Amino acid sequence: MTGASGSGKTTLFRVLGGFVPSMIRAKVEGEVLIDGISILTKDSPRPAAGVGLVQQDPDAQICTLSVWEEVAFGPENLCLPPEEVTARVAESLASLGIAHLAGRETTRLSGGEKQRVAIASILALRPRVILLDEPTANLDPGGAKQVFDLLRSLGERDGRTLVLAEHRLAPLLPLHPRLLLLEEGKVLLRRPSVAYSDLDSLGLRARWEIPRPVVVRSGPPALVLEGVSFAYGEAPLLDRLTLRLWPGEVLGVIGPNGSGKTTLLRLAAGLERPQAGRVLRPKSPVLGFVFQHPHQQIFERTVRREFSVEDEIAGARLADLLRRARLDGLEEAPPLSLSLGEQRRLTVATALSRGPNLLLLDEPFIGQDRENVVWILSQILAARERGAVTLLVSHDIPLVASLCDRLLYLGEEAVEGETAEVFDHLESTRREAFTPGYWEGGLR
Amino acid sequence: MIASLVAGRTRGGLRRATPLANLLLLLALLAAVLASPGIFVKLGALLLVLGLAALSGEAPRTVLRRGRFVFGFSLFLLLIQVLSVREGGVLFSIGVPVTDRGLLAGAEMALRFLVIVLSSLLFITVTDPDRLARAILALGIPYRYGFTFVLALRFVPFFREEYRTVREAQRVRGVDRPIRNLKSLRRSIRYTVLPVLVAGLARVDTVAVSMKGRGFDLHAKRTITRRERWHPIDLAVVGLSLLLVAVTVLARERGWQ
Repeated sequence: MTGASGSGKTTLFRVLGGFVPSMIRAKVEGEVLIDGISILTKDSPRPAAGVGLVQQDPDAQICTLSVWEEVAFGPENLCLPPEEVTARVAESLASLGIAHLAGRETTRLSGGEKQRVAIASILALRPRVILLDEPTANLDPGGAKQVFDLLRSLGERDGRTLVLAEHRLAPLLPLHPRLLLLEEGKVLLRRPSVAYSDLDSLGLRARWEIPRPVVVRSGPPALVLEGVSFAYGEAPLLDRLTLRLWPGEVLGVIGPNGSGKTTLLRLAAGLERPQAGRVLRPKSPVLGFVFQHPHQQIFERTVRREFSVEDEIAGARLADLLRRARLDGLEEAPPLSLSLGEQRRLTVATALSRGPNLLLLDEPFIGQDRENVVWILSQILAARERGAVTLLVSHDIPLVASLCDRLLYLGEEAVEGETAEVFDHLESTRREAFTPGYWEGGLR
Repeated sequence: MIASLVAGRTRGGLRRATPLANLLLLLALLAAVLASPGIFVKLGALLLVLGLAALSGEAPRTVLRRGRFVFGFSLFLLLIQVLSVREGGVLFSIGVPVTDRGLLAGAEMALRFLVIVLSSLLFITVTDPDRLARAILALGIPYRYGFTFVLALRFVPFFREEYRTVREAQRVRGVDRPIRNLKSLRRSIRYTVLPVLVAGLARVDTVAVSMKGRGFDLHAKRTITRRERWHPIDLAVVGLSLLLVAVTVLARERGWQ
């Protein structure tokens, strides 16, 4: 199942899972039958038996402190005998290849591990249908590939019904899925099967055509990191990293979660000091920083006041900024009541309102539909034309591949260079999840 | 925070004891410093806490380093008492007279503060929150209430991380100005609380769906598969706690100073 943000995917999952109307009140019509039994009833004592829901945020859906307890949580709630609970936990963990995680604390897992634990905790209930609501949206490409590989083996081995919402369809095609395209709560298109060629014709391919002007790397660089090392505690996160970026250059930063990508942005912003080496910013730095989650940088009571947090902006200038962010008419609206897409446009617009010469973007595309992504891209391109240096941290590999002049991979090693060169290196070192080929359907 | 505190180097000492036994010891230590007169029992309690920390793999040097602020503040408390209490016999003068009662009152207050903070820190450090949650759930209290404690522990690192990010976003936008008056205090609270609260509410929604979807609250009771078992070390910890309570009662009755 695919469709833009707000097209009704999550709502549909909550209906299929039996959460509506028993837990979430809503007016519902029609019927949902699981094994011939209608689940759309207010009196239903619990969400539908036989259906398990895996949600988008791998961390937020975990409710206990250890992996074993998390997987046992469902069977224990069903009052199964302790021996049965123990057997189901062992079986679920083993079937996902994560038996070694049983004794681990849930807070210490990576995003990919957490999502696999979430799936294991659903498998322990032995559902006939598993609903997965964008299960890879918050994961790094490596973690997302782990989940896709797992789904492939689940579908092939157990013959369970999987209902999956996903924007990036190419890695799923080996599952031979049926396709539903949703738009504004309605099914726009149904396909009994999907091929790679269909993705192109339906406009669902993760491919971007973005003009990339040649950057002139002469004169003094605008941002320099020289032999920068940084560690939280004893394990080094960045080790003698050297970078030089010239005005108008866009550097893509990719890599596994926890590899130091956000830390790099924080160093560039001056929020952290390197433990060795130095960071040289533009002479009069004007900083624009877009955080991963919009609510983290929204402070005021109205959209209009949000634009005036740093400097007073009013009149024609405010009207122009609102119009460009497509927020006109929402001046007096509380920003946190806006949709996620509108909140993202607001935070990008406020970050750009002072004309930054150093633009730092931390996963700005997460949870955004194509229309919003195009708008954010237009803002990055405008900033690039003004000569801003941009550091873009993103898990969206095809987008990074099309937009960025250079690429920095942070992981087991730091690799920096021309975009194509870095992708070649990653492919040759078997880190294909971090290359556009995997996401565009070039690799099987 | 919880995760980083339990990351001890060894599994010895109180780390091996069941969390309920450790909780009992903590309560006995708190009772000892709050109910006993004078400094005798309090000093003994402090030495006991430091000894137990060492037995549990916390080297004295580490305790001193981590507890810098605690030790510093207790010295401050001592000094304040010494300088402000005029009653009692004068021992010597440092510009103001230092009396025996001032010194005793200061030592009492400093020791009480040290034991309360250090014993609480030791309890958090040696107690695996997962085992503690399991022990609380097995106590027989309705599991719906027991799980609020588990969820609270799950939310601690999340809120800490969210708070840190929001404060950084404020720094980036230049709104982390020092608090000078009530208006700026109100604004600072609003700028911080609102984003953190919004994130918390979204998370509550996700976790509620996740729990309900796995049958939480379906039955009045639920299976408890893993129970905390009592071992000789637990009995030793309980015995130590009871001894401490007995000494405290004795100290009160006999007026040990």
